[in-house]
Amino acid sequence: MLRESSNAADNEIDLHDITEGYRHDTDIEHAELLMGFAEAVARRDENGTSAHRQKMLELMGEPATVDAAAIAAAFHGFVRLADAIGIPYEGAAGGTDSTELRDEIGISDFYRAQNA
Amino acid sequence: MADNPYPNSPYDIRSDLSSAHEAALAGIARPGTWLTGEQRVWIAEEVRNARNCPACAELKKALSPDHLSLEHTSLGNLTPAEVEIVHRVVTDPGRLSERWCRGHIDDGMLEGEFVEMIGVIAVTMIMDTFAFGLGLPVAVLPEPAAGEPSRYLPPGARREAAWLPIVEPGDEVPEDGPLYATPTAGYIQRALSMVPQSKRDYWNLAGAHYLEGGQVYDFGNSARAISRPQIEIIAARTSALHQCLY
Repeated sequence: MLRESSNAADNEIDLHDITEGYRHDTDIEHAELLMGFAEAVARRDENGTSAHRQKMLELMGEPATVDAAAIAAAFHGFVRLADAIGIPYEGAAGGTDSTELRDEIGISDFYRAQNA
Repeated sequence: MADNPYPNSPYDIRSDLSSAHEAALAGIARPGTWLTGEQRVWIAEEVRNARNCPACAELKKALSPDHLSLEHTSLGNLTPAEVEIVHRVVTDPGRLSERWCRGHIDDGMLEGEFVEMIGVIAVTMIMDTFAFGLGLPVAVLPEPAAGEPSRYLPPGARREAAWLPIVEPGDEVPEDGPLYATPTAGYIQRALSMVPQSKRDYWNLAGAHYLEGGQVYDFGNSARAISRPQIEIIAARTSALHQCLY
C-alpha cells in the first residue's frame, strides 16, 4: 500500500525504513514525525506520544493529527485480526505485494518466525 | 446508541468517526452471535486489563511464549482460556500460531466464539488506541444488553485458507446479510466473515478510521486530512512494529 501510494504521489521512500525505523530522507511530508508518532503509540509511550502529538498539532493542524491517531489505531485492530485468524498474506495490498519485496525488506522473517 | 464517547475531547473529532465509535460501543454491549452482551463487555474490559498483566510482560520478554506457563492476572469474569486469548492477542499478537489457535478449538472452544472474541478485541483495541493517541480517557463501556446469542453459522463458512473458517466471496447466502461489496475482497476483509455481524461491526469502525472500501485501492487520492502516503507510512510502521504484513 505504501509503495503503491508513494508511486501514485511520486514520492520516494526507502521501504527498509518501515521495518528498521526512519533513517533515510523521503519526500513524504512529515514522514519522520508520523513514524515517530506511530512508534510511540505502539509502545504505549505516553510522553513520546504526547510530544509527537503536540508537534503534529503545530506543524500539521488538528484534523491531520486526529486522522493520524485514527490511522495508527486502525492498524492496532488490523494486525490483531490478521494474526489471530491466521489469514494468508497473499493478496494483501490488492495483490500488488511481491515475494521479492517481502524478502528484501524483511517482512518474510516475521512469518518464518511465526511458523517455526 | 451510546453517548458521545469523548465528551471532554479538546479536539474536533470528525462526525463519522465519532458516530462509528458510538456504534462500536453499542455493538460491544449487544448480544452477539455466539456470546452474550455481558461476555462481550467482559472481553472489552479484559482487553484493558491485559495491558497491566505481569505474566504478559514476562511472556513478551521470553524467547518463545509457548515454553512458559504463567498465570494471567485477570478481572475474573472470563474462563482461563478466554483470558489467555484476550491477553495474548492484545499484548503479543505477532507470535500467535496456528497451533495456539487450534489448541483452543481442540480444547472445546467453538470456532464462532473464538472469531467473535477476536472481533471484540480488535474493536476495543482500535477505540482505546485512538484515545491513547490523542491523550483522551478511554470511552466508558456501556451496560450489557439482555438477550441470547443467535448462534447463526453461515453455511458457506469453511476452513481452508486461514486457521479458522471464513466465508469466501461468492459463498455467502442472503441469510448472512451483507458481507462483501466486491468479489475481490482481500483476506483482511474476509477474516471475521464466519461471524457476519462481527465483520460488519469491525469494518464499520475500521473503515471510519482508515478508508472506506472503495477508497482503499484508489492510491492517488486521500479521503483524510493527511495524504495517502502519510496514511500508509503510519500504517506500515505500526504493522511492522507488530511484526505483521498488514
